[in-house]
Amino acid sequence: MLSNMENMMGAPTPDDAAAALNDAEVSRTQLTDGLMLPSFFYISIGAAVTAQIATAAVGLAVRANWAQWLLIAGLAAFALVAALQLIRFRRRNGVWVGGLAGRVVLGTATTSSLSYALALGAAVWAGFEDLWWLLAICSLAGGVAYTLSGRRWLRIYRQDPATHGRGESAWQLAGLGAVALIGMVFLVIGR
Amino acid sequence: MPDLDANLQAPARLKLMTMLTAVSEAEFATLRDRLDVSDSVLSKHIAALASSDYVKSRKGVHIGRRTTWISLTAHGRAALNAHVAAMREIIASVVEES
Repeated sequence: MLSNMENMMGAPTPDDAAAALNDAEVSRTQLTDGLMLPSFFYISIGAAVTAQIATAAVGLAVRANWAQWLLIAGLAAFALVAALQLIRFRRRNGVWVGGLAGRVVLGTATTSSLSYALALGAAVWAGFEDLWWLLAICSLAGGVAYTLSGRRWLRIYRQDPATHGRGESAWQLAGLGAVALIGMVFLVIGR
Repeated sequence: MPDLDANLQAPARLKLMTMLTAVSEAEFATLRDRLDVSDSVLSKHIAALASSDYVKSRKGVHIGRRTTWISLTAHGRAALNAHVAAMREIIASVVEES
């Protein structure tokens, strides 16, 4: 039901203005606080990133056809998990949050991209040195850091949704994905 | 007197626009339920805001049924910020007087 103020075109009193602003902010807070992540959201993203780092490191360190296929399988598994979880989030909440897609799932937040790059670099080095146990630890650390960065983003988002909600545009994300894919292809060709 | 945006003086529109700042886009039914208004009331608000280029809508699918997704435009975001600043001025003027 609409209030009487719906049709009031004159300036509101200070009390009306304060009440209207407060109501609007409460509505936004209720919306963001009510957003539910799909089940196994963080654990599936973390596991997919861990697997992707490990398979990429093995694919780059081992000169064999199966290793290349493993690298591709790791990328495909991550893409599948990311897409599924984003679709589930949208279906569950009836909203699309670009920041969640970019910063949490695709790792464009500074902490997740840095931790991912460090973990991948260390895992690839471990692979070249035949330190497979270290490769596994680096991959796991990368997945955990990625997940923690995502949790941190969600906390920040809920404190200031207007600033953090939109994230990168679909074109920017597609561009970043293409650059990452091209980089991986060059790494495989140049190994 | 600060310049208030006549398009945003209805509390439901202010709530709608403020909620849209938190997301990239929202489904029609989600907004309707959050605002606790009828389909027709929300449609009218969205049509009015869209005619001012404050929001844009697109047809899509949600859980297997056709629906409408609503998002804020850059122009709408700027208008909302200006309107909120004007309202804060009104509130602040009373604080200064007292």
